[in-house]
Amino acid sequence: MRTLSKWRFEMNRRDWLIGSAAVAGSALTVRFQRRKYFRDLRPKRSRIAILHADRYSDKLDELVYDGLRLFNLDVRGKSVLLKPNIVEYIPGKPVNTDAQLIGAAAEAFLRLDAASVTVAEGPGHHRDTDLLVHETGLGDQLTHRKIAFVDLNRDEFIKTKLQANYSGLGQLWLPRTVLTSDFIVSMPKVKTHHWTGVTFSMKNMFGIVPACRYGWPKNVLHWAGIQESVLDICATVRPNFVIADGITAMEGDGPLNGSPKYLNTVLLADDPVAADAHLAEALGFEATQVGHIRQASQFLGNIARNRIWHLT
Amino acid sequence: MGLLRDVQAEIETGSLSSGGWVSGNGGRAGIETTCYALMALHDRQGPARDDAIDLLLRTQNPDGSWPAFDGDDPEGCWTTALAVIALHFVRSPSALVEKSLLWLLDNDGREGHWFWKWKFRTVDRAVQFNPEKYGWPWFPGTVSWVIPTAFSLIALQQLFPCCRTERVTNRIQLGMEMLRDRACPQGGWNAGNGIVFGSPLKPHIDSTAIALLALTEGKEAVAIQALNWLRQACIDCPSAYSLAWSAIAFSVHQDQAFNHCIAHLRKALSLTDAISNIEILSLAAIAIKAGESNANPFQVAI
Repeated sequence: MRTLSKWRFEMNRRDWLIGSAAVAGSALTVRFQRRKYFRDLRPKRSRIAILHADRYSDKLDELVYDGLRLFNLDVRGKSVLLKPNIVEYIPGKPVNTDAQLIGAAAEAFLRLDAASVTVAEGPGHHRDTDLLVHETGLGDQLTHRKIAFVDLNRDEFIKTKLQANYSGLGQLWLPRTVLTSDFIVSMPKVKTHHWTGVTFSMKNMFGIVPACRYGWPKNVLHWAGIQESVLDICATVRPNFVIADGITAMEGDGPLNGSPKYLNTVLLADDPVAADAHLAEALGFEATQVGHIRQASQFLGNIARNRIWHLT
Repeated sequence: MGLLRDVQAEIETGSLSSGGWVSGNGGRAGIETTCYALMALHDRQGPARDDAIDLLLRTQNPDGSWPAFDGDDPEGCWTTALAVIALHFVRSPSALVEKSLLWLLDNDGREGHWFWKWKFRTVDRAVQFNPEKYGWPWFPGTVSWVIPTAFSLIALQQLFPCCRTERVTNRIQLGMEMLRDRACPQGGWNAGNGIVFGSPLKPHIDSTAIALLALTEGKEAVAIQALNWLRQACIDCPSAYSLAWSAIAFSVHQDQAFNHCIAHLRKALSLTDAISNIEILSLAAIAIKAGESNANPFQVAI
């Protein structure tokens, strides 16, 4: 018959270890399951429109304008900020949002009576933003259409409390140009990304973080976790709209290496999460396989099909 | 000299009442921009220059480092090396740089830690580099990058032209090895590594020029290759910012491309409508003056 002391001894050696592991596991589970966002920003329904375009041309002006009209957006008198994805100029590699699409979007918002349209980007590796804007052809578009450009790496910065706590950063210095805009449009180049799986509208918002404060690249955020930082940034500055460049997308080791993938699509959406979920599927992923899309679906936007309306 | 005076006058006009200059559209003095502007005005007498020195002394963190801009959190970053270079260049008598140098010596790229060396050697091999060779990060706690490493090397070499301690000597050597290790296969430097995911990256003009400012010990192969690449890259470059950095590097290396680059820079400045960016104007002024003896703030005494 087992004595009490023997029983205690056995408990200590085996069960204590099992019990401790269970307690530690529960604590970790609670830690990861604890809600890390402060507000539920999901709309009741989200809308997307998939526009067909097989090349970059002047025809994008009408295509994007007509596409925006499907959404009945109220941008009259508002300051619109277009945030494209301008990373690095590599001839033959479709790594950047196409300049012609950016120009077409700017024109369309002006036609919808926006008070102003500004194109703004903070390139992650390249310190010579003027050169990058010139090389990518964006400079010509801006000049031709008389659109202002702001280098977000060298803007005025405002210390901002983050509206989610995935990265643990708590707060970030963010550009005034972004924080004071009425209507923010994320314009990603659709591509796969070595570290985050994909670069779509939410990952594109990483570029608003000023390199002048966080370095070229914004390495502080890499170490805090790219996906976690993306969630915190988008919870704080949620894009109002998405215009994604999937005419020539990129597959492979993005953000810089990869092969063209011709999706022949410009995707418009009023929900960045719905947009990214659709784009993930277009590139052959389950949306929930991408960590930041899966997490964002809990508070930033919708991925459930019954909450997404297709306008085209 | 007319253009230089005009540019210097423009810089002086842009000085903030609280001292220093903003970066781009910023509202507060940026330490990096202020350093360049101070270098550009080093031979001018006046309140803009004096206020800039005061600003640098006022914004120095208690640990000797500098933040990114006036009013920033008191965390040191890459601007520390630039502030040391700028204050050394203008011979500020009240500059307290001993602590700054210690801060620089203590600030390693994160790959210098044994755990990350192991990780980058075994698990994370997407980026091809030797983690044994590390330099300086943009911010403490992150990995080494080309530009902060080059600035830190220049600062250490300028302040210790001779009689270096073993620690200083080793750190300079290690930083130079890191730059050699990260060079792009075609010559020159990108922001960090030369090869990522098995593909060679395209060099950047400014990174290449700034790295060349730190690698001046003899004519080594990596510097010669970088200079060859830079000469070609400048031919069609429309950017005053990149041309200015190139001219500063050509000046230090006494490269024949200097005069051509300066001519190209002058043209770029005249073609661009009213450049108001103080950082670009300051670098242009430094470049134009760099042809004069002892007028290059990034010159490392050999």
